[in-house]
Amino acid sequence: MSQLSEIQTGFARAVLNAKDPVPEGVESHLRTKPLKRFGVYRNNVYVSLVSVLEGRFPVVARLLGEDFFKATARVFVEQNPPNSPVLMRYGGQFPEFLEIFEPVADLPWLGDVARLEWAWNLAYHAADREPVGSEALAAIDPSTAASLHAEFHPAVQLIRSVYPVVTIWSENSKDGEPDHIDAGAGGEDGLIVRPGIAVEVRHLPLGGAAFIAALTKGKTLGEAAEAAFEEDTAFDLQANIAGLIASGAIAELRAG
Amino acid sequence: MNRIQPHTGSSPIPARAGVGFKPEHFGEILEGRPDVGWFEVHAENYMGDGGAPHHYLSAIREHYPLSVHGVGLSIGADAELDKEHLVALKRVCDRYEPGLVSEHLAWSTHDGVYLNDLLPVPYSSETLARVCEHIEQVQDVLGRRMLLENPSTYIKFESSEMSELEFLRAIVSRTGCGLLLDVNNVHVSATNHAYDATAYLDAFPYEHVGEIHLGGHAEDEGDDGEPLLIDDHASAVADIVWGLYDRTIARCGPVPTLIEWDNDVPAWDKLKDEAARANAILSKTSVRHVAAE
Amino acid sequence: MQSKTRKISSLAIAGAFAASVAAVGATPVVAADDMVKCYGIAKKGENDCKAGPGTSCSGTSSVDYQGNAWKLVKKGTCGQVSTPAGKGSLTCLTTRPSGQNYQCG
Repeated sequence: MSQLSEIQTGFARAVLNAKDPVPEGVESHLRTKPLKRFGVYRNNVYVSLVSVLEGRFPVVARLLGEDFFKATARVFVEQNPPNSPVLMRYGGQFPEFLEIFEPVADLPWLGDVARLEWAWNLAYHAADREPVGSEALAAIDPSTAASLHAEFHPAVQLIRSVYPVVTIWSENSKDGEPDHIDAGAGGEDGLIVRPGIAVEVRHLPLGGAAFIAALTKGKTLGEAAEAAFEEDTAFDLQANIAGLIASGAIAELRAG
Repeated sequence: MNRIQPHTGSSPIPARAGVGFKPEHFGEILEGRPDVGWFEVHAENYMGDGGAPHHYLSAIREHYPLSVHGVGLSIGADAELDKEHLVALKRVCDRYEPGLVSEHLAWSTHDGVYLNDLLPVPYSSETLARVCEHIEQVQDVLGRRMLLENPSTYIKFESSEMSELEFLRAIVSRTGCGLLLDVNNVHVSATNHAYDATAYLDAFPYEHVGEIHLGGHAEDEGDDGEPLLIDDHASAVADIVWGLYDRTIARCGPVPTLIEWDNDVPAWDKLKDEAARANAILSKTSVRHVAAE
Repeated sequence: MQSKTRKISSLAIAGAFAASVAAVGATPVVAADDMVKCYGIAKKGENDCKAGPGTSCSGTSSVDYQGNAWKLVKKGTCGQVSTPAGKGSLTCLTTRPSGQNYQCG
């Protein structure tokens, strides 16, 4: 092993593990192994990564409060440091982490809230694409509608939860005190779209998520409608097609 | 002649003040079209597929020259460069055609873990060989000359065999890269390691400087109560750094100068004032002292 | 259950599709103020276009918060969400309130 490699291995390990001693060979002009100076690097790494997570999961941060969030995020950073310098990709494992992190076990819906915020981030950075336009729609013969395949916009994300995750998210995304929410009131599904550059989170009606999930898997409009009815007989096909088009979720509709 | 040739298709960066672009200032910049010489962005923030960041930057690029500053290439690492990341950097450069491309004399990735800080390197012949290899690779892939920034450091290594200046000079002579002189980093490192910033600057190879950075720092104390400065880019440029900058410009002539303010980002007007202060110093001299080709 | 054998006729789908297209028809999908909204003019907390902090090439003087999550009290808004005892189950999906229709969250 080269000397440089050895130095960097020791340095990296000590930066991540606050209890490790300052590595050999590190010095100031006044002493060897200066703990406080070395601590600047430790601090830079943790503070910056915790702040990245705080910016990426603002609703989780608001729900937990600043101190609790930071303490939680710090443990996450310790266990899951980034593996890429492109920090917009950092934090994808945070939802799963929250689901097994004991101090938040009393908030079983928190992981899904984080999942929604991560999906928001994916949508924010997704590729640009023009949603299907009125001309293309007008050119489709409605009698062939049942056999159409939908291609979704690259930003589209579907969130399904047994908790009212869209309501929790939206109540905590706006200014002012959030309304009281009963987490046991039933699950919610959300659709995240970004037809232009603004991300929108939409609340899906009954059967909507099953409809979208089936279309995503390559099912035809007719097959997806069947799947949605099967999940919920209250599924409103017309409202769902209109909703998907109007929200900019669909990039293209193609014949079988 | 200035050795830093503008890249084909790019707008050259003028020897005026530029400002680090922050999305929160987008509206003001696009509507007011302030008389700012150029903008700089961190390459890594534009490595996503699409959406708002690219929308913002494309609009800025339409009206201003742009400099791309990488923060994550880990040029000072012993390990090989992340090829995927280098390709992503090239993609950003191909898309936005920056007038300047720069990176740091530092490392941040080790064993696949990205530490999100600019970590220091020992100034040894072994590090020198590695850094030069990496810079040559970057210049090969990008097809252009890059600038390397002098670091701000909080510790040093027993295994260093030469001074930072000797190290930087050797890199330039071996790779032909240019230098990004961060005057605040000079002040921070000189204070932290108890050497004279003025002497360091007077000996700096100005003929290879393609860009200057000016940022703010915070004051702290080291293990023995000695002054320790932290390069936090969270405040205005300190008066002492303005003084060093003035001295630098008097010696090397006008060089594109960036106002760096990355944390606790202020209102746009505050950045404009900082840029105006740099422009006032830049306009005192017009003769650029550069190396012969 | 009927649902397994229920077949939605192509005609019904054609009708629903035509009605959807007619309903959406005139509304542009990307609202004209989308770009304006994203210029940073939107009120704080309402800007749908700003992601969190990106990369940094600077250090920080603020000190790492090393609180203990096992001992800290949650001081956020999570108290506004009452959580039932025991974890939720998938059966909740069929008992959700209805009437939500692609509203923005």
